[in-house]
Amino acid sequence: MEKWINRRKGLIPVMIGLLAAMLLFPQAAFSQEEVASAIRRYKEREASTGYYEQYEVRPRHERPFVSIPGVRQGIFPYSPSAAQVRTRNRMADSHLGIKFYRHRRCEDCHIKETRDIHTTRANLTCRQCHGGEPVAGINFYYSPLNPLRRHAYVCAKCHEGSSASFAAYVVHEPAAGAPATKESFPLLYYSYWLMLLLLAGTLAFFIPHSIMVGLRELFWKKGKGGE
Amino acid sequence: MRIRRFNKVEQLFHLFLIITFLVQAGTGFSRFFITTAWGKKLSYLFGGYDTSLLIHKWTGGLMIAGFLLHLIYLLSRVNWQNLGKSIFGPDSLVPNLQDARHLWQRILWLLGLGPPPKLERWAYWEKFDYWAVFWGLPLLAVTGLMLIYPLQTCRILPGWALNVAALLHRAEAILAVLYIFLVHFFIGHLRPSSFPMNEAMFAGTVEMEEAMAEKPAWVERLKEEGKLEPATAKPPALWYRIIYYIFGYSALVFGVYLLVNGIIYSPYVRLH
Repeated sequence: MEKWINRRKGLIPVMIGLLAAMLLFPQAAFSQEEVASAIRRYKEREASTGYYEQYEVRPRHERPFVSIPGVRQGIFPYSPSAAQVRTRNRMADSHLGIKFYRHRRCEDCHIKETRDIHTTRANLTCRQCHGGEPVAGINFYYSPLNPLRRHAYVCAKCHEGSSASFAAYVVHEPAAGAPATKESFPLLYYSYWLMLLLLAGTLAFFIPHSIMVGLRELFWKKGKGGE
Repeated sequence: MRIRRFNKVEQLFHLFLIITFLVQAGTGFSRFFITTAWGKKLSYLFGGYDTSLLIHKWTGGLMIAGFLLHLIYLLSRVNWQNLGKSIFGPDSLVPNLQDARHLWQRILWLLGLGPPPKLERWAYWEKFDYWAVFWGLPLLAVTGLMLIYPLQTCRILPGWALNVAALLHRAEAILAVLYIFLVHFFIGHLRPSSFPMNEAMFAGTVEMEEAMAEKPAWVERLKEEGKLEPATAKPPALWYRIIYYIFGYSALVFGVYLLVNGIIYSPYVRLH
């Protein structure tokens, strides 16, 4: 037995390491979907999300925000300040180091985020999804809002049965007509301008048309009556 | 003497559309404007914010059923032996080259530069009315169903499709409401030849002189084909006229009420 252990001494640190890793990784949430069959995994249920043969959930490729071509290139793609913003949403405390943070309210800085349907109509507060202090960045690995588990930990609280695909709904919707939206959410941008053009075009034709018809008929009738 | 323009089924479809459209506009507006004082008041009419949605969903379902029934009715009206003439003929609502010509002639007439066009049974603006509903309703139905069943929708589409669906639903609804309450109501009630109310859709018939003045080509064709005699009808009964005047004006008042308040309160709705 001793001989056996001595021969495999190198295995012990590996096993301790594996144990530590098991403790550190988050446990599976109850609402996470289970594999239905080894061969046919959720083909029907999650057809929209792509490949389930390898992974249980794969939400991130569904983000509608596309990166701007030509910007994310090179070893240092962002300026130092931009990089800070981008790393903040990966931090455990996304507001770390912000001056006078304790005396500020969410809407002091995130005013636009307080104006979407979830807040103005369903009366949700920021904390109900983003959690208490310290507010974790949404891309922080253990954050409940990480796209990896957002559907199970946050959306499913109200939207029972929510899937990873469902959680790709953009809660903080950008202003649909704004130029920046053309880059970040093109489909929304083009839908907005298409509908606006349709509306403006229809009314621009039919309102003057109706007024002209009204005036013309008025004079025409008068003329007729006078005969 | 009066001639028949709409049969009973078509009148029923229009009546159904008036009622469901106004309910959808009212419940939809009460939710869209819920953050304003007027929106809250409007929502009380439909039992509050949540009940408004319930009514909106069920009425939407009814409208979809009505649209499917209308499709069946359309198929029953097509003359399959003479398909080309049936679809592109003068009794059909399908737009054709003649409409473009009429539009041009009518613009000239509006500017006092020419005689009025000799319109057939359906004028180009009437065809536009019909097709606006015909494509608008399915768009509202599809986006509405997506929003009623978001989880099922996300099995086939990514979640952000719901953002787009909500935008399209709202935009198409606003377009429909503006068009109906501004243009359609003007054509039906306010323009001198219709004032105080164009009764064609409710009576199902129009005065001979009226038809001769606006749609001379239609009357001429009926005469040539010998169909004028069978198309003549009795004028509507007085009690019936009183009913549809009250109904039509109630719809008009409710529509204008929604339109005016919608315009007044639209700057206070903050949804980006």
